[in-house]
Amino acid sequence: MNVAMQQSTSPPTAAAESRYAAEAQNVTVEFHGHKAVDNVSLGIAKGEVCAIIGPSGSGKSTLLRTFNHLQEPTSGQILINGRPTVPGSRKPKPADLMQLRRTVGMCFQSFNLFPHLTALENIMLAQTKALGRSKDEARERGRHLLERVGLEAKANARPSQCSGGQQQRIAIARALALDPEIMLFDEPTSALDPELGAEVLAVMRELADSGMTMLVVTHEMNFAEDVAEHLVFMADGVIVEQGDPSSVLRSPQQERTQKFLRAVNGR
Amino acid sequence: MGGAGMNTDSWSDLLADLLPGLALSLQLTAAMLAMGLPLGLLMAVGLSQKRKYVSVPTLALVEIGRGIPALVLLYMIYFGLPQAGMSLDAFLSAAVGLAISFASYTSEVFRAGLAAVPHGQREAGHALGLPRTVIFLRVLLPQALKIIVPPLLGWAIIYFQATSLAFALAVPELMSRAYVLATTNFQYLNMLALAAGLYAAISIPLSLLSEHMNRRGSRTATS
Ligand SMILES: Nc1ncnc2c1ncn2[C@@H]1O[C@H](COP(=O)(O)OP(=O)(O)O)[C@@H](O)[C@H]1O
Ligand SMILES: [Mg+2]
Repeated sequence: MNVAMQQSTSPPTAAAESRYAAEAQNVTVEFHGHKAVDNVSLGIAKGEVCAIIGPSGSGKSTLLRTFNHLQEPTSGQILINGRPTVPGSRKPKPADLMQLRRTVGMCFQSFNLFPHLTALENIMLAQTKALGRSKDEARERGRHLLERVGLEAKANARPSQCSGGQQQRIAIARALALDPEIMLFDEPTSALDPELGAEVLAVMRELADSGMTMLVVTHEMNFAEDVAEHLVFMADGVIVEQGDPSSVLRSPQQERTQKFLRAVNGR
Repeated sequence: MGGAGMNTDSWSDLLADLLPGLALSLQLTAAMLAMGLPLGLLMAVGLSQKRKYVSVPTLALVEIGRGIPALVLLYMIYFGLPQAGMSLDAFLSAAVGLAISFASYTSEVFRAGLAAVPHGQREAGHALGLPRTVIFLRVLLPQALKIIVPPLLGWAIIYFQATSLAFALAVPELMSRAYVLATTNFQYLNMLALAAGLYAAISIPLSLLSEHMNRRGSRTATS
């Protein structure tokens, strides 16, 4: 049945008709002959929150990173709103990639804030340098976003003066400043203590409620069950099982999924 | 023995005679840095390219720049270039020759500093749709400079002292001024000691500053 679900995706005939905000079609990523992602197809509907779970090394990050071409697929393609990110077979041009990354924002496990800039400057940089907004506009938008993630008081603080949870919330604000249509999260809370992780998850929950399309690699099963509409379990570079989060988490059909969930719940 | 010679000119008169030389040495250092710093950075960027047709020729240039003694470089530019139909005056020849040597040595400092910036910083820049030049100038370079500046200051001090090589091209910098004055007043020891004192007066505080920055840098890096 999971096979049927995976293959229910027919290529969209026209961009405007696509059901999916983001879609991977037969994506394979090879590293030195090893397939980290092996012929994976996955569609994320507009406004949907899709969570990817799975053991470490199963290719979750690699798959996620193909959606904004931080990772170039070895074969297969990514479609955003039904349009291939790389038209034809040519290599993506820098301008195409920059455009793609304004549409698809990303947050990293290690935040990757710019340490020499203040929180507000972190949020302003890409607005002025990638979108061409004026400094005043970028600053106003930055303050608004800091307020949205509950950190207006940290506008002039350096990342080193913020907790991990605050840094991740600033990183979310930084990505949102480009008004992306889709947000990618790669284990956004894995580097955080539970309490600090909770404040980040609260911001992500709010973002999901606002209708953002999100693809989230996570170990937070509660978040996956409560917030996600679509759960994907990956192992060894393939999607083993996917579907409604509660059904996958509570009555997994595949032995590999059952084994993984037993290990996670057994902690 | 120095006393016999000292009755004609006082120390302060001798010093006053040397100061224009010091000014020229500092100008030469500034001109050398103005060319050598960008060139060193450029070489570092070339060295860290994945494309072999960029990195290998850059490495060859760097090795040549380090392999040739600075004095030979100066001579090649001042006496050799005119044969190739291009001539620079003595000051510029010295500045260019020293800059090539300086850049070759400091390219590795720049390269290592840039390589020390965590990979996630470049990735975050790309994920935000920033152009490559912005990622380099606004994200990577400012962070690398914290690592680069102390050793770079050390190299700048060495090359400030190396401006004395311009003496060989008759640039009237501090060393050559001390020597020329000594040939007229025969106070070789005093003149050279004064010149040495002036070199040291500039070099020692700067090298203390470099060490201080180094210590502070390594402390913040480990804390
Ligand atoms: N840049 C890379 N170079 C080589 N191998 C990589 C690279 N990135 C990931 N891998 C390998 O690909 C596999 C999947 O990695 P990853 O996508 O990070 O897994 P996950 O995020 O599920 O833990 C692992 O075996 C990993 O070692
Ligand atoms: Mg991962």
